[in-house]
Amino acid sequence: MRRTGFLYDERFLLHDTGPEHPECSARLLAIYKGLEEAGLISKVRLIKASRADQAWIEIVHSIKLIMRFEEACLWGMNELDHPDNKMCRETFETAMLAVGGILHTVDLVMEGEIDNAFCAVRPPGHHAEVSKVMGFCYFNNVAIAARYLRRKWKLQRVGIVDFDVHHGNGTQNIFEDDPSVFYYSIHEHPSFSYPGTGRDFEKGTGEGYGFTLNSPVLPGWGDAEYKALLEKDLFPAFEEFKPEVILVSAGFDAHVDDDMSDIKLSTECFSWIMENIVGMADKYSGGRLISVLEGGYAVSRLSELARNHVEILLGSKA
Amino acid sequence: MFINKTMTRRVITIGPEAGILEARGKMEENGIRHLPVVDENNKVVGIITDRDLRSALPSVFSTCREDPKELQRISALKVGDVMNKKVTTISPMDTLEDALLLMHKSNKGALPVVDRDGNLKGIISTRDLVRAFINVLGIEEPGTLLCLVVEEKLGQMKKIVDAITEEGIPFGSILVARHWEKGKRAVFPYLLTVNVAKVKRKLENMGYTLLDPMEWSLDQTRKS
Repeated sequence: MRRTGFLYDERFLLHDTGPEHPECSARLLAIYKGLEEAGLISKVRLIKASRADQAWIEIVHSIKLIMRFEEACLWGMNELDHPDNKMCRETFETAMLAVGGILHTVDLVMEGEIDNAFCAVRPPGHHAEVSKVMGFCYFNNVAIAARYLRRKWKLQRVGIVDFDVHHGNGTQNIFEDDPSVFYYSIHEHPSFSYPGTGRDFEKGTGEGYGFTLNSPVLPGWGDAEYKALLEKDLFPAFEEFKPEVILVSAGFDAHVDDDMSDIKLSTECFSWIMENIVGMADKYSGGRLISVLEGGYAVSRLSELARNHVEILLGSKA
Repeated sequence: MFINKTMTRRVITIGPEAGILEARGKMEENGIRHLPVVDENNKVVGIITDRDLRSALPSVFSTCREDPKELQRISALKVGDVMNKKVTTISPMDTLEDALLLMHKSNKGALPVVDRDGNLKGIISTRDLVRAFINVLGIEEPGTLLCLVVEEKLGQMKKIVDAITEEGIPFGSILVARHWEKGKRAVFPYLLTVNVAKVKRKLENMGYTLLDPMEWSLDQTRKS
């Protein structure tokens, strides 16, 4: 069995998006419950959140955005820039805790304390751009982790796999000209789904050309098409890139029971995807993998999806 | 929407006395396929397209390319010898709709924009229309497209727009296409939100049909 970290903190529940918002704290409760019921809490190394040093957030985001976000919370505003981004007084602190917790998890992996980890954080991050919050996202958790691995741990090649059903425009935008961070995303085709980026001709810019790769999937498609696209696009790309660490933007909203998209993945296909990502981490990255929660709104499915996800990280799933 | 709001003003032109190799060079350099041919007074006397040049120049597989005499003869050809003298033009105070219909009817990829006195003022090409269409669709802003099939009767749009507005969702655009089915319209609201599940359910509960995305089309000639 691998040594797997699980970042979870009740303070992540404090980010209150108000009534009827899909990105709600019930998501995290379902994830925790899924792990608890499967007896996994005693098998993982439980990691608590710690507040991020703002300097690390500034390696991705503009100071202006950080200040505006903090100020909006202090004023008690209930949304930032767009009705999608609902928030409360605690949202800024929650986002700081999420980033801090993830960076601490990165340290534990890099120090060899643990092999891999699942970070069940809120708010999610992959839509957030340098100076723009959007699509429920404030700080781009995975992008900050990727740049932290470059700056603090001096890695040369970081690979990101984003299987949230929406394209991670923020992460792509942040690294599109950077050949040291490979961004791969599989998502519902942008003509049918938010945010409208992630077309297959978006391949990076300048020196980063060829280090962004998108696999758009048509509405109504499911397991067979996902598997075929990952085999055709992701596997050879990472075989060539050989990431030193793999970061995963783990969104569970492509599930057939999730009404945020028209993609119809089975629970088993999520396991297949994760087994293959873990396999790539074993092959190229010495097993080092940090998975971070993005979307996934079918609360009734999150328990089983998270349980399988963590069992695969542990290597204990039959 | 007048042409002079959308046209490209900085037109790359050529004179009738210029060589055809110069014309080819100008097209390649600027990545364009049409050069209006103007006289010394900036009056349009013709148009030359990359197709005209292709038919005037020898094929890349032709052996006459290695014949210096033949090359000399070809390079002596002038734009005036090859250009199209019958030019389909449009006026700056014609409209975008005029341009769309005229380009559709005449099958031209670009129309020189010429004022009443025959002076060249600009050019409008499919590229300008593509750019405008991207803007109209609003697709450079993040959002989600829906498609509803609705009965063609008064008041439908109000109900749809009200229902979406009540959810606090901003619009990127809303297109209405003539549907292939008689008496129906396809309405495409482009919603600037990721949060569409609830509003989709609401519209369905109001009795609207959300069309399967694999069936969407802006083209009424399409048959399912």
